[in-house]
Amino acid sequence: MRTLPLLALVAAAAALSLGVGVRPLSPGNVWQALTAFDATDADHVTLLALRLPRLAAGLVAGAALGIAGTMMQALTRNPLADPGLLGVNAGAACAIVAGGLMLGLRDEGAMAALAFPGAALASVAVFALGGGLRGDAGPVRLTLAGAALNALLLSVVSAILLIRQETLDVFRFWVAGSLTQAAERPLAGMALVVAAAGGLALAVAPAVEALSLGAALARGLGVRPGRVQAAALAVVALATGAAVTVAGPIAFLGLMVPPLARRLAGHALRAELLVSAAMGAAILLLADTAGRVLIAPAEVRAGVMTALIGGPVFILIARRIRPGAMA
Amino acid sequence: MTRVAVLLAAVLGAAMLSLFWGPEMGFLWRGMWSGEGPAALTLRVIRGPRVAAGLGVGAVLGLSGALFQMLFRNPLAAPDLMGFTSGAGLAIVAAISLGLALPLPLVSAAGGLLAALLVAALSRHRHRPTPPLTLVLVGLGVGFTTSALGTFLMTRLPVQEAAEAQRWLTGSLAARGWDHVAQVWAIGIGLTLAAAAQMRPLAALELGPDLAAGLGIRAGRARAALASTAVLLAAAGVAVAGPLPFVALMAAPLGARLVQARTAAGRLAAAATTGAGIVVLADLAARAALPGIQLPVGVATGLLGAPYLLWLLAREMERGDL
Repeated sequence: MRTLPLLALVAAAAALSLGVGVRPLSPGNVWQALTAFDATDADHVTLLALRLPRLAAGLVAGAALGIAGTMMQALTRNPLADPGLLGVNAGAACAIVAGGLMLGLRDEGAMAALAFPGAALASVAVFALGGGLRGDAGPVRLTLAGAALNALLLSVVSAILLIRQETLDVFRFWVAGSLTQAAERPLAGMALVVAAAGGLALAVAPAVEALSLGAALARGLGVRPGRVQAAALAVVALATGAAVTVAGPIAFLGLMVPPLARRLAGHALRAELLVSAAMGAAILLLADTAGRVLIAPAEVRAGVMTALIGGPVFILIARRIRPGAMA
Repeated sequence: MTRVAVLLAAVLGAAMLSLFWGPEMGFLWRGMWSGEGPAALTLRVIRGPRVAAGLGVGAVLGLSGALFQMLFRNPLAAPDLMGFTSGAGLAIVAAISLGLALPLPLVSAAGGLLAALLVAALSRHRHRPTPPLTLVLVGLGVGFTTSALGTFLMTRLPVQEAAEAQRWLTGSLAARGWDHVAQVWAIGIGLTLAAAAQMRPLAALELGPDLAAGLGIRAGRARAALASTAVLLAAAGVAVAGPLPFVALMAAPLGARLVQARTAAGRLAAAATTGAGIVVLADLAARAALPGIQLPVGVATGLLGAPYLLWLLAREMERGDL
């Protein structure tokens, strides 16, 4: 594993995320703001109030989606799996919007708590609908089931938003993936959740690998398929829920990262998970920074950027799936 | 034939229901016979074109879906799953945001055809024929990307135009006039005739490319012509109502179940009629479900269609076809 270049990539992405924007900040400026904060200096305020939370949100959501995507692809052996494309993001967003509306919640933390049951229900549903319970979740089947679930949940979300237009402003954020409202999100809490999801992922990784050899063989190795699947889906739900809470539904990141990570990490799932977390964070930060520069002073949301990069990747992978391996 | 007549009568009944439905139902009914006053005006200006446009849009989408499904011999081949309708929708939103004063059907057709060419080119393999499911998967990818582009363009628009673009992207029949009705029906009838002229190659292709070649059909050319007709039919629907999700996917199998036609032409007629019925009923449901709130019809077809797609996948799985 090439740890050093990877860490350098994350550090570079973080530095760009802090320095680049409508108001460019020099490295010296950044350093000063961190060491000798001056509340009257507009640059320092920009950095502390906007850029740092944004950086933190990018790290948390990017790492989370990298972990979630890798775990989904490993569990379903589906190279097209992604929490965004398979409806898990939509499940979290739907739960936040529907639950928030019905319960009349205004508290960010309480609304965020809804993301987890939403993501969990959606990930179990798509896994079951795609044939995962029978141990044969083929890529085509799972992808189509995910597209259907995604369409269904997004219809529910848009119906709710259209019904209660006064709530549109409160919830609009969760329907649009971006890091712009990072400062208002429970970043520290979600970082802990992602750390927990990552820990669980590392613990369960060998069993998931054994399961990929087939349920019978896995049982012979002392693995209990049901438990392993439940744990892997819990990783997906926790990581995706946290990502949606800090950044809204961002698609395609979990699709792009695992194949890149496999190139660096080989096929050991533990190493792949660690590399995926770092690469997810780096790519999301770079996408967010590029989106800030592209049409400045306006912004392209990070979720749109990942979709524009990820769409072609999706097509590339789809082309490679052999008809014989469709089932 | 009697089954087609019954289906047609049922769809017309649904259209009448949609025409009059609402708290002012009796008022509208009396107004229609008096021919004057606000009730007649409501029917003439608001409800009439809305329902007539819905029928036309549903028919062209249903026909388009049926053509694709017969052409690729796959129940999952549909212009909405394969990204063509979102390509057409993106072209319309792009035209709105660039301030181009082009006729929407042209813009929509160009977008739909471009998306179709893109999907065909991207799923082509040098050494082996393209399986329909690869087309569907690549189409999903193109659809994801075009809708992301649509969202991006929408965020760049001023509020009022953004709302208009949002309606286009969701799929809506609100504020449609008789010019929309004339447009979708005229284009639809023209393309239906074009499809009718291709019944022989279609029937041959349904038997498989080898048999078609034996019957003297040039499979590649015939398939391209039929697919273009189907894409243009979908684009005609999108130009009036936006990319309504799942109508094209559902219409043909549902129509086949209702009518059980043997000939290709009979199945296409059943699909068009069923599509018209689906859109009119979905629009009625979206308007009537919640008092005082008018949801766009695209929300209703999304809510109806997604469970259908899931059921379809479950059935294909049971049969071992997928």
